[in-house]
Amino acid sequence: MSIQTTQLRKTYNQDTDFPVHAVKQLDLNIEQGEFVAVMGPSGSGKTTLLNMIGGIDIPSAGTVVIDGIDICSLKDQALIAFRRDNIGFIFQDYSLLPVLTALENVEFVMQLQGHSEKECRERAIALLNQVGLGDQLHKIPSKLSGGQQQRVAVARALAPSPRFVMADEPTANLDAKSTAELLDIMQQLNEKEGTTFIFSTHDPRVIKRARRVIVFEDGQLTEDRVQ
Amino acid sequence: MLIKLAWRNLWRQKRRTILTAMALALALLLSLFMRSMQEGSYANNIENSAKFSTGLIQLQHVEFEESQSIEDLLPATDEFIAAARKLDDVERILPRLESYALAAAGDKSKGAMVLGVMPALEDEYSSISDKVVEGEFIKADDKSVLIGQGLADYLSLTVDDELVLYGQGYRGQTAAGLYKIKGIVHFPLPQLDNLLIYMPLPLSQTLFSTGDQVSAWVIDTRDLTRLEQTMADLKREYSATLLKNTSQHSLLDRNGKSQVNVRDWEDLAPEMAQQIAMDKAGGIFMMYLLYGVVGFGLFATILMMTLERYREFGVMMATGLVRTKLLGLVILESSFISLLGVTIGLALGTPLVVWFHYHPIQLTGETAQMMLELGWEPILPMLLSPWLFIDQILIVLGLMLLCLPYPLWRIYRLDLVTALKGGGHVN
Repeated sequence: MSIQTTQLRKTYNQDTDFPVHAVKQLDLNIEQGEFVAVMGPSGSGKTTLLNMIGGIDIPSAGTVVIDGIDICSLKDQALIAFRRDNIGFIFQDYSLLPVLTALENVEFVMQLQGHSEKECRERAIALLNQVGLGDQLHKIPSKLSGGQQQRVAVARALAPSPRFVMADEPTANLDAKSTAELLDIMQQLNEKEGTTFIFSTHDPRVIKRARRVIVFEDGQLTEDRVQ
Repeated sequence: MLIKLAWRNLWRQKRRTILTAMALALALLLSLFMRSMQEGSYANNIENSAKFSTGLIQLQHVEFEESQSIEDLLPATDEFIAAARKLDDVERILPRLESYALAAAGDKSKGAMVLGVMPALEDEYSSISDKVVEGEFIKADDKSVLIGQGLADYLSLTVDDELVLYGQGYRGQTAAGLYKIKGIVHFPLPQLDNLLIYMPLPLSQTLFSTGDQVSAWVIDTRDLTRLEQTMADLKREYSATLLKNTSQHSLLDRNGKSQVNVRDWEDLAPEMAQQIAMDKAGGIFMMYLLYGVVGFGLFATILMMTLERYREFGVMMATGLVRTKLLGLVILESSFISLLGVTIGLALGTPLVVWFHYHPIQLTGETAQMMLELGWEPILPMLLSPWLFIDQILIVLGLMLLCLPYPLWRIYRLDLVTALKGGGHVN
């Protein structure tokens, strides 16, 4: 179970005089169970890479193969279904649905998979307990702190039991304490359940915890080290 | 969950939702009120004018519409009218014999319309005895007549004077008679006042030598809304197919076609029907104008609800919400706003319409006086019809359907990466 990219390239404004090469000819292999940080300066192509391997963005060239499936060749509906069942997303600004409670936010993504209400409820409660929010189930996001919201986002990303979680600068808006708590949770989930976490970050606290660090500069991989 | 999500999303911008729903409600309330008043007035006018002229429905000989001749008559028998009498929606039936004659007194003469009626039945329908300004109302077995005030003045006649009627009777016979004036009746409409002579039906049949025949059977329905159905029933009852099975073969022509023509008030009084149609078109135009203005408000709300949530839509799609469900979410939210508007509008409008239906607005001043003179009640009645309510609901829902395509198209074309960046641009 792995993610493999071959000659992956993303160019914006391709047909103009000023094309922007966000990712250039990238060959990468990420195995299941890894805890990977993709680091680099702003505009280096980290988010674009995460979007492409997460099936959100379409590469200009090359392939992304997950579990033997070239996700670039999937049609819209099939890609959505693949993403829903295999990949979880955590965003920098948490991106919870503001009108749903913490519990409902987690349940919602499971309901999209077609699970029964009871199943959704039980797993959502278990996940929220796991991220330490068992007593905040019925609060809407605006009543939670940034750290708590990001923990709900982690629970939401994990709710459909994905094999990979893409986290785009998940700690950028968090203080040191919240960052440490969040990383603890994600590390535990990675170790206990074997979920692969791929972060895009330039937060040294995250990089310190990562077992593998991929350094990205100007759309190119400049360093790939295991810590 | 989508329903819950859609409902809660509405209340993220409470003020906007309430304002949009209230605008819809106000438009619905005003339109409902206006249309109920319009339709109520039409119904009232139709019923009032029917009483003093054509009635709501008439059975005539098929040639009478063109010829207006005393030659084209229908039987005045119970056997003939039994088919109409058995219909549940028929409230009353009046036989009339209508023809023209020269009215003369002394050295003056004038063309007059002679109307043979059953006095008691006619009075029950149109309270014509209230319009008698001199003398008395006629009875069925009287040998005297009732004359319009204008005609009486022209001929210098008064009660107990005698009047000569001279004209053409049935099958070319001479129609002539001398009749005593029992009463003088005043009609606010000069064309009636200067023209009309009422006489008992048997007397008019003798004058015109028609025997047991009439020129029209006037039929009134219990309810104006049942007019269409009654027309259909009467057309069926007096169709060639059914007449063939009765002993009334004389009502079929040589080709086996029915000689009975069933005409409604629109056919009998086309000018009035046209006037109502014009007025109704004006009212409906105003209504759509009102809804058009409100529709822009609804469109703006739905569009804003879409454009300001691109990022959120992107996240939902990234986490597995298929585009069709996202479209469904926006449709649900729009439906909720529209239904909210409809509910508030109906909640406020229904009691208002019901109240004014049972307590119509009383007119005063010159208008009231004019209506009273016409024998009409000086009121602005409201029509209480489920169709008026259903129409408004359908218009609001139609408005919503008109507002939806563009926002839905924006979502359909939404690029996931752009949406996640929070951008409003669609590739």
